[in-house]
Amino acid sequence: MRGAARATRGADHGLFTTLCLCMGLAMGLVVGRAGAATVTVTLNVAATSVGPAQDAVVVLDPVGVVPPPARESVVTIDQVNKQFLPQVSIVRTGTGVSFPNSDQIKHDVYSHYVPKIFELKLYAGRPTAPVVFDQPGLEALGCNVHDKMRAFLGIVDSPYFAKIEHLSRTGSVSITVPAGRYSVHVWHPELAARVTPQPLEVRADAAALSFDLDLSGIPDPKAAWPWP
Amino acid sequence: MQLRTRIAVTFLLLLATVLAVALTVVSHTNRQNAAHALTEQLQSGDKEFHAVLDLNVRLLRLAARVMADDAGFREAIADRDTETLVSVLENAGTRIDAPMVVLTALDGKVIAASGSRAAIGQTFADPTLFTRRLDGEGNIEPNDTVVVEHGRIYQLVAVVINNPLPVAWVVMGFEIDQKTAQELKDITGLGVTLAIKSGTGWSDVVSTEPGTQGPRSRAETRRIGLPDGPAATVVVTLSKSFAAAMLPFDRLTEYLYWIAAIALAVSAAAAFILARNITRPLQNITAAVDQIRAGVYDAPVVMQRRDELGSLAEGIQVMQSAVRSRDQSIRRLAYEDALTGLMNRAAFNTRLEEALRAGGDGVAVAVINLHRFRRINEHLGYTVGDAVLKTIAARLTAGPYPVGQVARLAADQFAAFMPLRATDSLQTWGATLLVRLSDPIVVASQPIDITATLGLARSPADASSADELLRCADLALERARREKRGQASYEPAMKPAERDQLSLLGELRQAVDNDELRLFFQPKVELASGRIAGAEVLLRWQHPTRGLLGPGAFIPFAEQTGFIRQITRWTLEQSLACSAVWLAAGLALPLSVNVTVDDINDENFHLRVANALARHRLPPSLLTLEVTESGFIDDPARAIAMLDALAHLGLHLSIDDFGTGYSSLSHLARMPVHEVKIDRSFIQGLESDAEFAAVVRSAIDMGHSLGLQVVAEGIETEAAARRLTEMQCDVAQGYLYAKPMAQAEFERWLEHRPRVPVPPAARTLTTAAPGEGKTLMVL
Repeated sequence: MRGAARATRGADHGLFTTLCLCMGLAMGLVVGRAGAATVTVTLNVAATSVGPAQDAVVVLDPVGVVPPPARESVVTIDQVNKQFLPQVSIVRTGTGVSFPNSDQIKHDVYSHYVPKIFELKLYAGRPTAPVVFDQPGLEALGCNVHDKMRAFLGIVDSPYFAKIEHLSRTGSVSITVPAGRYSVHVWHPELAARVTPQPLEVRADAAALSFDLDLSGIPDPKAAWPWP
Repeated sequence: MQLRTRIAVTFLLLLATVLAVALTVVSHTNRQNAAHALTEQLQSGDKEFHAVLDLNVRLLRLAARVMADDAGFREAIADRDTETLVSVLENAGTRIDAPMVVLTALDGKVIAASGSRAAIGQTFADPTLFTRRLDGEGNIEPNDTVVVEHGRIYQLVAVVINNPLPVAWVVMGFEIDQKTAQELKDITGLGVTLAIKSGTGWSDVVSTEPGTQGPRSRAETRRIGLPDGPAATVVVTLSKSFAAAMLPFDRLTEYLYWIAAIALAVSAAAAFILARNITRPLQNITAAVDQIRAGVYDAPVVMQRRDELGSLAEGIQVMQSAVRSRDQSIRRLAYEDALTGLMNRAAFNTRLEEALRAGGDGVAVAVINLHRFRRINEHLGYTVGDAVLKTIAARLTAGPYPVGQVARLAADQFAAFMPLRATDSLQTWGATLLVRLSDPIVVASQPIDITATLGLARSPADASSADELLRCADLALERARREKRGQASYEPAMKPAERDQLSLLGELRQAVDNDELRLFFQPKVELASGRIAGAEVLLRWQHPTRGLLGPGAFIPFAEQTGFIRQITRWTLEQSLACSAVWLAAGLALPLSVNVTVDDINDENFHLRVANALARHRLPPSLLTLEVTESGFIDDPARAIAMLDALAHLGLHLSIDDFGTGYSSLSHLARMPVHEVKIDRSFIQGLESDAEFAAVVRSAIDMGHSLGLQVVAEGIETEAAARRLTEMQCDVAQGYLYAKPMAQAEFERWLEHRPRVPVPPAARTLTTAAPGEGKTLMVL
């Protein structure tokens, strides 16, 4: 995959997304084959202050089951037109994230807080090595020289997660997980507080559940992160 | 107070009052305006203050924002090492000039602080500072507040630190110090004082008005709480003293006072000028009125004004000329006789004095009296009387020869004076005057017989002053009248007699009682034969001290006082007694006795005469009573009745002073008289004046034609006697023959002189006429 990822260097956003989806589907198929089911999570935005324009994240956290170890992988958060792209990313613990700079100007990517404190001093082009995030948590990324540049990187232990891109009034996503018990978490950068996770018993058949998101408060993405 | 002052003062007081009211109103309004302006300024100052504060906060916030977004600062903030943090905060504070920088967590708990004694872990300052809100773009809205630390006031500005998420607040504290206050003051124009709560009171921390002591009134201040949370420990007082607010108005008021003062001064000058313009003409007018009062009428009251004063001056001018013309007419009345237009006595006196002063040889004065003028008024009416007076005035003033200045002194009295040369004859001048009046006066086709008597005097012989001259002329007039002459000149002898008249009455009584009166006799001579026809009895007074006095000295006085009756009685008695003695001695001489008007008017007079005749056993024909013409004037009918009664007694009657009085022919014809006596004034002019001669001749002829004996008296020359003889005058009397003589002398004179024989009937006692005897018996 690293090679593939390398191979897709310079590829556009769509290609990367497609790649991720393919990978997810492949995993789902593996799980499904051992009694997998598709969970469809629907998010309804009950109230919003400015309107969700960012991606929402849905994570199914298996309860009492250790998920299969992650394979080494690299995710890219590009910097295009003084914006991180994508602005919301969700990765499994231990994933390396590459921060290529696609702009002609330099950027200085940093995170001053847990789970991973790092800084990529002013640079252009692709850094020599991706940054590996081996602790779960919500990483808030910024650029030291461009205050408006901001990106969230969610790092979870569960391999079962998905993004609903550009969540508007409503949106849903389906995740194929093995049967079992899960705790379903949702997160959105505009949330003011943590959304209560919903337990889910996944059987052979498909399951569906929905969350109502209140986006009218003052956003506190860190506080809203389902995990401490 | 003078009118001028009063006008001016009134005017000024009025103006001052108006100005005072105006100034008071303006002052009051100014105060109100100032108070209003002060309130408004404080209100707008409030807004401005907030606006300025807000702007200040924005600027501070911007500075804080810049600081907070600084990468190095952000990185440092992430460092949890407190000491590092404090130094970072200090550094940041130094950069943006914020003495206080505090870093707090998003919940307001202090993480680190610089320049503040905030305790770590405690919520810093006002919790509302950390209330996060979203603006329209989802940005977190900042808060700000003030805080007091160490007695200083800080404007706090909080900005959130995005790292890149909001992770903390950095609170910057900027001290509100003197400089800030001064800036605020510069902008608002108001005093700015910041005070903090100090116990129960407030203590000033910063003030642009350090000198201001003591509390200001509410009107002068405005308190503004600063957003320092519920503690409300800071208060801003915007202030402006009322005096400062009044400053522009005070200037205005000051200008107004100046204007008022100038207006007052100008008005004062104007008022005085105006008042003077009013009062000066008034003074002129007053002066003119004073002149008029003083009798000066030629001072013109001219005033070239079209206003009321001009009218007043004009009116006074009109009044002046009216007064002048009235004055002139009064003067005319005072100095001119209204009827005749001649001078009156006053004017005559003045002119006479002037003439006397003029010097020259002398001035002749004549006083002219009209006989019986009163009767003309009574009988013919005043119109005729006035016409007579006018005619006389005209005759006196207009004639071929100048007769001098003529005046009318009284009703029937005129006067004239004329300067005479020493050689001029006073008598001739008098005669000239008389001749002018001798022609009969015709009024309304009616001839009026009027005669005049003249009294003459001349200066300097008789007197030197007008009064004295007139008096002398009066005396002469009196003499002329008394002596039945046309005119008489003053003689010095007249004066003392007149002067002594006052004591005369008493003496006269004594004279009668003491037989001091004497009978004198003047013979009457028959002209044709030279025989003695009789004698006229004349009176003399043997005065004990003054010697022998002529009748002129006391008879007029006796006539005036009525004492003449006693004298007549005495004379008659003595005459008859004398006559009786003579008759007894064989001398039958007719005696003429003068009687007066008073006697004629006495209704018992004839009885008394008859009684006397009877007592002395005298024939009435020996007695002739001489009556003056003037005796008939007052009551002719009564006089004639008395004459009739007397004639009836058989005695003779004679008209004395014939020609001088009012003797109309008709009267004369009716009178039972036997004789007329031509006045001596005619006889004296007989030789020199043909006119007088004609008068005498016609008088003689008239007497004869009425069957009367004509007697001429006052004959002094043979020539006169001859003329009278030629004129066939019957009897003459005068100094030519004999002056009046005392009885003894007369008796001696009479001896050997031929006498006109007396009819035998007269030689014996006449029996009284029938009907009279009874009366005689009674008497």
